Amino acid sequence: MEASQGGTGKMVGAQVRRVEDPRVLLGKSQYVDDLDLPNSLALAFVRSPYAHARIVSIDAAAAQNQPGVRLVLTGADIAGAIKPLRVEYEPAKAPTHKPCDWPVLAQDKVRFVGEAAAVVVAADRYAAEDAAGLIDVEYEPLEPVSDVEQALAADAPLVHEEWGDNVMQTLQAEIGDVAKAFQEADCVVSERLTTGRHMALPMETRGCVASFEPATDTLTVWSSTQVPHVLRSHIALVLDFPEHHIRVVAPDVGGGFGQKGHLFPEEAVSAYLAHRLGRAVKWIEDRRENLSASLHAKQQAVQAELAVRQDGTILGIRGRFVGDVGAYSEYPWGSAFEAGHAASSLPGPYKTPAFSFEAVSVATNKTTIGVYRGVGLPIGVLTMERLMDLAAHKLGLDPAEIRLRNMIRKEEHPYTTIIGAEVESGSHRESLQKALDILGYQECRAEQQRARAQGRYLGIGIGCYLEGTAPSSAAFASMGLNLGGYESATVRMDVAGKVTVLVGTHSHGQSHETTLAQVAADELGVPLADVKIIEGDTNAVPYGMGTWGSRSAVTGGGAISRASEKLRNKMLRIASRMTEVPDDDLELAEGMIRRRADTTPLMPIKELAHRVLVQAGSLPRDEEPGLDATAHYEPPPSTHANATHIALVEVDSDTGQVTLLRYIVVEDCGTIINPTVVDGQIQGGVAQGIGTALYEHALYDENGQFLTGTLMDYLIPTAIDVPQVEIGHIESPSPHTPHGIKGVGEGGAIAPPAAIANAVADALAPFEVRVDAIPLTPERVLGWIEQRQAAA
Amino acid sequence: MAATQFTEYQTIRVRVNGHEYEREVPVRRLLADFIRHDLGLTATHLGCEHGVCGACTIIMDDESVRSCLLFAVQADGAELQTLEGLADGDKMHPLQQSFWDNHALQCGFCTSGFLMSAVDLLNKNPRPSEEEIRHGLSGNLCRCTGYANIVKAVQAVAEQSQS
Repeated sequence: MEASQGGTGKMVGAQVRRVEDPRVLLGKSQYVDDLDLPNSLALAFVRSPYAHARIVSIDAAAAQNQPGVRLVLTGADIAGAIKPLRVEYEPAKAPTHKPCDWPVLAQDKVRFVGEAAAVVVAADRYAAEDAAGLIDVEYEPLEPVSDVEQALAADAPLVHEEWGDNVMQTLQAEIGDVAKAFQEADCVVSERLTTGRHMALPMETRGCVASFEPATDTLTVWSSTQVPHVLRSHIALVLDFPEHHIRVVAPDVGGGFGQKGHLFPEEAVSAYLAHRLGRAVKWIEDRRENLSASLHAKQQAVQAELAVRQDGTILGIRGRFVGDVGAYSEYPWGSAFEAGHAASSLPGPYKTPAFSFEAVSVATNKTTIGVYRGVGLPIGVLTMERLMDLAAHKLGLDPAEIRLRNMIRKEEHPYTTIIGAEVESGSHRESLQKALDILGYQECRAEQQRARAQGRYLGIGIGCYLEGTAPSSAAFASMGLNLGGYESATVRMDVAGKVTVLVGTHSHGQSHETTLAQVAADELGVPLADVKIIEGDTNAVPYGMGTWGSRSAVTGGGAISRASEKLRNKMLRIASRMTEVPDDDLELAEGMIRRRADTTPLMPIKELAHRVLVQAGSLPRDEEPGLDATAHYEPPPSTHANATHIALVEVDSDTGQVTLLRYIVVEDCGTIINPTVVDGQIQGGVAQGIGTALYEHALYDENGQFLTGTLMDYLIPTAIDVPQVEIGHIESPSPHTPHGIKGVGEGGAIAPPAAIANAVADALAPFEVRVDAIPLTPERVLGWIEQRQAAA
Repeated sequence: MAATQFTEYQTIRVRVNGHEYEREVPVRRLLADFIRHDLGLTATHLGCEHGVCGACTIIMDDESVRSCLLFAVQADGAELQTLEGLADGDKMHPLQQSFWDNHALQCGFCTSGFLMSAVDLLNKNPRPSEEEIRHGLSGNLCRCTGYANIVKAVQAVAEQSQS
């Protein structure tokens, strides 16, 4: 039942409609390309058609003579003026990491198809693109590094000569006695699998508008970004421009999913040009540029083994993850992050006494890898869940049973995992059991048997995960990354008792204007309609880290709770003087200062606000004027969400087509702020995970040429492909966060590759095919079936 | 390479959301750019500019069209409807209301295109089945919602119109 939006009462947990929707639905939202500044110029980038080539010369004369063209710049023109993007880790923490320069315009060499070699500034985008087409770049093609195997060969061409090889980073760890575990095991299963290169693909491509205002000596960058302050700091760094004269504004952002959590070369160039020309400039990339020149994700080759006892108890796991990171390193996080994240996620919710892994990040002449929803987790979970099914099969155990036997039990929390993470609470076994109940597991198994008898191949696949959400500053520091995990918020009350919240997260679809307002409304006892959330303007909101990593509800919500607490304490202190009721006997609720014991209203909040802010002479002398408070919230070392996904599929053995008949998720993100929003995040995440599992593939040929440059070639799920996800909830609040919130944003996308791959393997069990690669395209699945039939 | 110029202009008259416009446009100007940047109607979005994602869908003479695949001059004499023309003042069209009620949008970038495709779908088939809705909207891509709530929102409006 929907809570009244004008009323008060407990808002955390209430199913309220989104505050942000009316302006979007009425066409009043403002994305970055909707901003048309007066006298604005447009940019177009000239991009490399080669994967690997030396730039011999660039002839821009014809372009410069085009009508409307203001300026053409090449890498040589901006060398020294804009620093290259260079990801540095703390050497002591990341001794094997090799940094590289990503020049914002190619200097002497291009390293992937789509790399920017020059930029045109012209009166409008038509003129800029015309001129870009007239720039004559002479390339001397070099042998490309087109895959990881080639990259690791002794005589491989080098993507970055100064490295001496193509390895960006190798991470290794062994915890417990792994060799012993494998010696003592009753059963060992192993799997080699590969995941397809794919990408976030937000519906709004990347873009920014930059302008320099001499009157205020301010460089303003409006960008479609998830991380406004991160962008500001790094624009300052690469342009060597004083940060306090830079303002970054993130307007409405049309999706990001990780891709827009970076500083891109094009943004640095735009900011530089606005300052240099004293004119506003706009860069809006087209879809081909987004597909070929933004960031890709998650192409890894995995080899992993699982050692178990006869009863299925896990003794040890080992895995080697080799990531194809492409040409450069995503800035400022670093592309080597993904393989390590995938590898370290292997044990998941399963109690594991011995674990070793190696994660190798390898450079190739392809588009750079960047974080995309779930980062390495979908690959780690796919690997582990395949191993669990293989072990169950070999031991004659039910796939559900082997999982239940190994999962962390409720009474074992807080449970410290093999990699040292403290899992504070959770519902691993309960979520699996509930998902099986929703499916009607036994009935489905019976149906599967009946269908097989009719020559139809149904399969049931399980995917379970444990997700560390909202990484802390310390977690990044331990990996050698110079990044914060904290968040900041300012909470202000105005003279009418209404609340403005300024917070450093940035919604790109996550509904913060609603969910974060629900948190503030509860903390300050005001109606939801009396709270306004402001994000995305570095001149307005305190320094924060933006939105990624299932962090905003935990960290943004945490910062708002802490700032509200400060403000509330002050209000109650002042109210105590006015009402002569001790402040710990007072509360803020339903727009009133109330006596806590019997909820008697003593004074409207708006009256208190007016007296503090306007009739300030009546304030007690020892009380500071003003009604605002700021807090910086560092999340706990770890918060953990968990879920079970189950896919029921049918595979057409004549065509290889995989059809999703049902998809079930039982999630546990701790305390739910808004059930509608959580369901929306799950449904949407699952859709992206379905894309990962079945369709999406950014392809290159053996020359490093990019083959999937349109949405006719790069396929994402449509309305026909995504079923209604059947969602169940369990709430295991975190004991460490305000309200017990854990975070949910990435979860939906993490387990579909595992659940769907397992379901396809289960469906094709009669053919004994080895499901060892995603995406599970009809061509690939049919190939497996035909291979087995030929062998038989 | 020789310098190229694209300077041919043509005057067009269009009716957009009930307002008459007469404008001189370069003959190669996309209809989407004309609507967005010349008329300032920025609710129509561009997601791919090659006719696949459907974000730029508008209604032209009672048919849904992709405004990124048309030149402005092709709309000369036409009647166009964009998202800005859907509501009656601040009173939402039933589809807009239903999208709100059913959480059918997240980032909102594709929403305008979905609404205009849904308008066209319900105009032609006021009582679509779920499957017909899914097919009718399959030319519009959404990366946030996973479509289920969009389908529900359209279904709810179709059911209302039956009662």
